[in-house]
Amino acid sequence: MTSMGQLCLLMAMICSGYAAFAVIVGARSEHRGLGRSAVGAACTAFVALTVVITVLGYGLVTKDFRFEYVTQYSDPLLPWHYSLSALWVGQAGSLLVWGWFVAVLAVIFRFTSRRGPRELRELAFGIQMIYLGFLLAIMVFAADPMAPALVPGAKGEGLSPLLQHPAMLIHPPIVFLGYAAWGIPFALAAAALISGRLNNAWLQQARSWSLFAWTTLGGGILLGGQWAYEQLGWGGYWAWDPVENGSLMPWLTGTALIHGLMTWRQGALKKTTLFLAITTFGLCNFATFLTRSGIFSSLHAFSQSPIGWMFLVWIAASVLGGAVLILLRKNQLMAEKPLAALGSREALVLMGILALVLLTTVTLLGTLAGAISGLFSTTRIVVGMAFYNNVLIPTGLVLLAVVASVPLIRWGAGPTRGRVRLLAIAAIIGFLVALAALACGVSNPISLTIAGLMGVLLASTFLAIAANVPLPPAYQPKSVGSLRSLFSAFTRHRRSYAGLLIHLGFGCMAVGITGSSLGSRETDLSMTRGQTVEFEGRTIHYADLLQQDLRQKVVVAAQLEVNGPGGASYTLEPAQILYRPQNQWGSKVAIHSTFGSDFYVIMHGGSEAKKIHLTLIDHPLICWLWIGGWIGLVGVVIALLPQRQRRESDKDKLSAHPVVPCPHLATLTQHARHD
Amino acid sequence: MAAMSTGKKLTIAGIVIAGVTAYMAYLGASSSWQYYMTVKECVDNATQVAGQRIRVSGTIVPGSLVIAPDRQEARFSLSEAGSCLPVVCKGPLPDDLSSTKTMEVVVEGRMEDSCTLHGEKLITKCASKYSTQKKEPTATADLRAGEIVR
Repeated sequence: MTSMGQLCLLMAMICSGYAAFAVIVGARSEHRGLGRSAVGAACTAFVALTVVITVLGYGLVTKDFRFEYVTQYSDPLLPWHYSLSALWVGQAGSLLVWGWFVAVLAVIFRFTSRRGPRELRELAFGIQMIYLGFLLAIMVFAADPMAPALVPGAKGEGLSPLLQHPAMLIHPPIVFLGYAAWGIPFALAAAALISGRLNNAWLQQARSWSLFAWTTLGGGILLGGQWAYEQLGWGGYWAWDPVENGSLMPWLTGTALIHGLMTWRQGALKKTTLFLAITTFGLCNFATFLTRSGIFSSLHAFSQSPIGWMFLVWIAASVLGGAVLILLRKNQLMAEKPLAALGSREALVLMGILALVLLTTVTLLGTLAGAISGLFSTTRIVVGMAFYNNVLIPTGLVLLAVVASVPLIRWGAGPTRGRVRLLAIAAIIGFLVALAALACGVSNPISLTIAGLMGVLLASTFLAIAANVPLPPAYQPKSVGSLRSLFSAFTRHRRSYAGLLIHLGFGCMAVGITGSSLGSRETDLSMTRGQTVEFEGRTIHYADLLQQDLRQKVVVAAQLEVNGPGGASYTLEPAQILYRPQNQWGSKVAIHSTFGSDFYVIMHGGSEAKKIHLTLIDHPLICWLWIGGWIGLVGVVIALLPQRQRRESDKDKLSAHPVVPCPHLATLTQHARHD
Repeated sequence: MAAMSTGKKLTIAGIVIAGVTAYMAYLGASSSWQYYMTVKECVDNATQVAGQRIRVSGTIVPGSLVIAPDRQEARFSLSEAGSCLPVVCKGPLPDDLSSTKTMEVVVEGRMEDSCTLHGEKLITKCASKYSTQKKEPTATADLRAGEIVR
């Protein structure tokens, strides 16, 4: 089995190398036979890689300890689903999963890409094949997932208990899918630069793939945060560790890229957009360099491996190569017109991109602080969480301000008088929301600003939707006609509404982050059985301590009966778990979640006096972080739905039925329609 | 006087945002920076770094770990490249901190006197993710019904 896997790996590498050569030469020389053979080679590489991943996955599920990888990350008692999740836990396995995703997406791209010039599509496909060949070469020469076991008959060392969590079943592969997907906008941007086809041809495909990559990487990051929150038992979800920063940075620049692509259509920010596509891809690879180079101070015990430096060479080549191409094509990338006004959407998007790039730069500098200071001094200096959190305040506020006002701002010009009036209404509502927050006891100026901006965001979103709802002249509130025209308006402006929904999700996340960061209350205490304590309006009674002996673990759980502020009663069972294979203890936190706050309890252990030691945390509004993520996901799904081609008969009906705005808002919105 | 162009206004706005961000970064760095040292560097420069915030990474010397019954204090020796540093850590300890196996940890704290590191935060390194290091053999769990024994 191991030999067959190694053979398939080698075949996949050779095929991807050939596919890259044939498709690029075929595209330049317009030799269609070469192009066809390249597709065949790419499909062969994909099939061979699928065989490798299936063999390793099967080996993990069946606990086939003839594979070195299986002995390192599984054990006979590990449940099959966690054993399968070990596929992306180790270095070689994670590279295999990443490479397989690159192959899958490259094949999908080749067979679904129909728009745009053939040369551009072929070149982009060739660049993806080069990337796949690079990943496969690393696996073949430096990180073989098919290596036979070093010690025959070994029974496996098991998976770290911390990684035995449902979120770990999907978080890493989703992140790797995101990394792989960012390769496609990069390939399209590089192909456009190489071929000189710098019109709008590459934009449409780059937009869809960027949205897909943005969603998968963002979803992966959010799941990782949720895993840390529920599994690591330190009470938080983000520690600004280099590994976390490694996945956040490409997501930030990717967010900027998506907005850059929109601005490109208006004839602006072309060089910036291309550079963002290249940088995002570079940062995806940088995340791998972070975890493999061994030069960073991290909480994660990564082994030093030569593959980190291979990735660094790859990053340097792709980013520098891209930058040189942008310089060579700078005349073609000039803005078609100067920015119209400070109050135009282009200007706001530019401010948002600036905030995202600044946040990325500072995160990068903070992550590299130890390595950079080590170049100039014998002692290295690292920065703590306060460094990143401080930077998040101005950049986050700029982003939220942009997101809050942008629904009422149009492309190409400043706001009309009607829009200014709507903006004023949104601002007043925001002010009232901030006052309400103040009346509810919120006193932190940052929290109040966030509350106010959230009010502006909600108001401007509602007003923007209302301003675009066309109704037939004979307006009847409950008529079928009004519902139909409402649906028609939503269909026609689907992408705009999807954008509004994503921005609403971002606003909810900002509320969750602010509430949980600035409003959290925490206390450490010890309790004896039968004792009752008070914490943040809750009464907590320690009722009992229960022990469960299971096959793979022993669970010792405390029963805490809680009476909440609204009279709600519930039982929480924080636990300590002994994982038998690793002989390692771990916490299982207990969380009672409501829209207002999370009550988070960690049990650290006990003593001979039958005391238990607890940490109680009140996290206000934290569930809005997760809710915001889900809202954003719904928005992206709506944005990615294929555009329905409008039939001629529909066009006729529309033209015969002139639309007017909803009468309640007619006065306000008469000057405020989308251009 | 001619009106300022949109480009110039945006440049000024950008400079202001960048300036505020840089200032906030400076404030954050000045309040949270710390030396990142190996155990050997820490031992060699003990007097220079006395009272400074430091982060030290190393391995707990087997047999040196003593954990208080309430798991609010740990004492151990941290070793790296032949050097050894006594450490006292106070506060909640990580769940997986145990004397049954060799552990890689990161300690953040201050050198209050010239020979002992007073840790304020103790973190065990996340064990297996992407690591190719071998683990120590496991020991048998020692449990008594109805009581947590650590």
